[in-house]
Amino acid sequence: MCLAVPHTIHEILDENRALAVAGAVRTEIRTDLIDTPATGDTVLVHAGFAIEKLSLSDAEELIQLWDELRSLAGDDHAG
Amino acid sequence: MIMPGSAGETAGLLRRISRTPLSVMEVCGTHTVSIFRSGIRSLLPPTIRLVSGPGCPVCVTDQGEIDAAISLLEKGAIVVSYGDMFRVPCARGSLSSKRAEGYDSRIASGAMDALTVALENPEKEVVFLGVGFETTSPATAVLVEETAKRKVSNLSVLSFHKMTPPAVKLLAQDPELGLGGFLLPGHVSVILGHDPFAFLPRQFGLPAVIAGFEPDQILFGLAEIVRQHESGVSALRSVYSRAVRPEGNQKAKAALERVFEVRDATWRGLGVIPASGLTLGKKFRAFDAEVRFDITLSPGTPPPGCRCGEVLTGRITPPECPLFRTKCTPASPVGPCMVSSEGTCGAYFRFFKGDRS
Amino acid sequence: MTNDPITLGHGSGGRQSAELVSFLLESFRKRGIGPEMEDAAVIPGGYAFTVDGFTVSPRKFPGGDIGHLCVCGCANDLAVRGASPDFLGISLVIEEGFPKDEAAGYMESAAKTCGEIGMSLAAGDTKVVPVGGVEGLIMTGCAVGRIQTPSVLSSSNLQEGDSIIVTTSIGRHGAAIAASRFNLSVDGLESDCAPLWPALQPILAEKGLRCMRDCTRGGLGTVLCEWAEASGLHISLEEDAIPLNLQVRSLCDVLGFDPMYMACEGCAAIAVAPGCAEDIVRKLRESPLCTEATVIGRVLAGEPSGMVSLRTSIGGERLVDMPFGELLPRIC
Repeated sequence: MCLAVPHTIHEILDENRALAVAGAVRTEIRTDLIDTPATGDTVLVHAGFAIEKLSLSDAEELIQLWDELRSLAGDDHAG
Repeated sequence: MIMPGSAGETAGLLRRISRTPLSVMEVCGTHTVSIFRSGIRSLLPPTIRLVSGPGCPVCVTDQGEIDAAISLLEKGAIVVSYGDMFRVPCARGSLSSKRAEGYDSRIASGAMDALTVALENPEKEVVFLGVGFETTSPATAVLVEETAKRKVSNLSVLSFHKMTPPAVKLLAQDPELGLGGFLLPGHVSVILGHDPFAFLPRQFGLPAVIAGFEPDQILFGLAEIVRQHESGVSALRSVYSRAVRPEGNQKAKAALERVFEVRDATWRGLGVIPASGLTLGKKFRAFDAEVRFDITLSPGTPPPGCRCGEVLTGRITPPECPLFRTKCTPASPVGPCMVSSEGTCGAYFRFFKGDRS
Repeated sequence: MTNDPITLGHGSGGRQSAELVSFLLESFRKRGIGPEMEDAAVIPGGYAFTVDGFTVSPRKFPGGDIGHLCVCGCANDLAVRGASPDFLGISLVIEEGFPKDEAAGYMESAAKTCGEIGMSLAAGDTKVVPVGGVEGLIMTGCAVGRIQTPSVLSSSNLQEGDSIIVTTSIGRHGAAIAASRFNLSVDGLESDCAPLWPALQPILAEKGLRCMRDCTRGGLGTVLCEWAEASGLHISLEEDAIPLNLQVRSLCDVLGFDPMYMACEGCAAIAVAPGCAEDIVRKLRESPLCTEATVIGRVLAGEPSGMVSLRTSIGGERLVDMPFGELLPRIC
């Protein structure tokens, strides 16, 4: 139910539309569902709509989860 | 600094920490396909049983709903639908077979394509088939609002959108299924945030993890479910923080609130689930195809022998259905689980080594 | 099969097409006069023979047009059976009202490609049908050429231990057509439509050459499934080894397509004996059409027999089946 592909916004066309690129594919997307779309933003696109902006790095939370996993597996912690 | 690892590393960790049998339901059809495509099943230890759930909106679209769409074609309307729905059959055929008969069914890759078709064909009625869960319904909401704003009178929407949490709740409370954890749909969660699934740990003591669709995401999500299970804890966590905000997408949720009303819906294979479907709200009645064409939805009857309902709820695996690979194949699908490219049976048929003999 | 209407799915390559073809060939098969199921047939006298219809829409696409495609399609069918592209016959069926200059333009493309590979037009036919009889224009090509290999190349030569080579990055033609059909702009995307004879001729004398197939509708995946089914062997592929360019990869991501099933028109799958792959790959890479030629898998005995499996990028394993029906954009 969830095929959504990361795109980078190349140009804002108007309040609801932008030109975005995914790899070599250029496409016009709707931006009605996200706040303040800007050139350079990476967004998830589904059914022609940006549904969220992607942040580029995994949060601290994930690093902590990974830590917990390794600790359960009995791995040593490294620096 | 320890960073989350690669898919291979995560699979290795998972195999090391999994000690006791665990059934995990992966709710979302896109997860089902990604799991198969990437070969994750072959990397899991025998303690883990992955059960595919009803998160394939195509699979749970009731035959009565497809029948309604076909009746609109026969009335001379252009029916615009996402490609996923095109080959799903009901007793009278599918959007694809009707096109072969000369009716005008068309494929949209985005919701707004329907508006383009309507503007290009002002003398015809155009109906957009809104199918999908929370990832997809906001796009339909925007389509409806723009159609109303621009007064495009020849366009209407047939909404069969459904809501994920009610179905997940139904499965969580089924003792027969013996589920020990849920892998939650990443993109539905982009819209909804964490809260709508928080009942899983709170009410049922079940681990629930939101994950994206790349193999490393799925494995990380599964590993976290196993960790909780082995540690005797349950919590809602997300490994997809790059996309999912805990509060979800407020703009999308607001659009859904403005455009849709909740109603009971018939899920193919599961029956009626109260308050699990979306229909256009009163303000947009004029653009509701059910109103415009006076459609009454009647639930379809499953074809004889079809056990999609049991597959969709994870009660049986596709190979346990007697029709699987005998009468029911992608060439001649009996039920929706085989038709949809992300239906469990379709996925098993195309990707799975284990049962070929 | 019942008396159901034939659908576009039946024409997409893959399982549905195979079933339609099987159904339609019944009359010939039961009389014992049915065809070999290879890209071109070997006929007495040391020739290979093929026929191919071209209905591509749009008729002009990045990287070629229907005329160029007609010649390449037929010539490549011959080439993969080790036959030089000697003679071509073209049948044109044209819808009334079609612009004459456009039709001439496609013949110009076809003639140019023929000239490049030494193929001559030996026969032709033109029909005009009333409006609606065909969509614009369809071209059917029929070609014959002399086989230049010491022995017949066929899937029956496949053996345990053979290596599978693909000559170029996959799916470019299908992606170019899909981009046009679903209105996507893809920078640098062009069909791979090209005549392979100049690239394949240098390897025809190689001892270890088992068989070749032109990957067309249904893509690489279909061809390898057909090999596995015909031979009863197991073909095992390495996902990371399969050459795929950014254009095709991103189009497939956006539309939800699997590149394994995207049509090619200038890409061959080649099976070679153990130990011969390196030399053959090196020779292939000397051609500008095959600079990315590479080994992508092996033929194994044992389970799953008659099937293709893939070792995925993450080290998992799964099957590759034939695609079913038209490839349609997904949102799920």
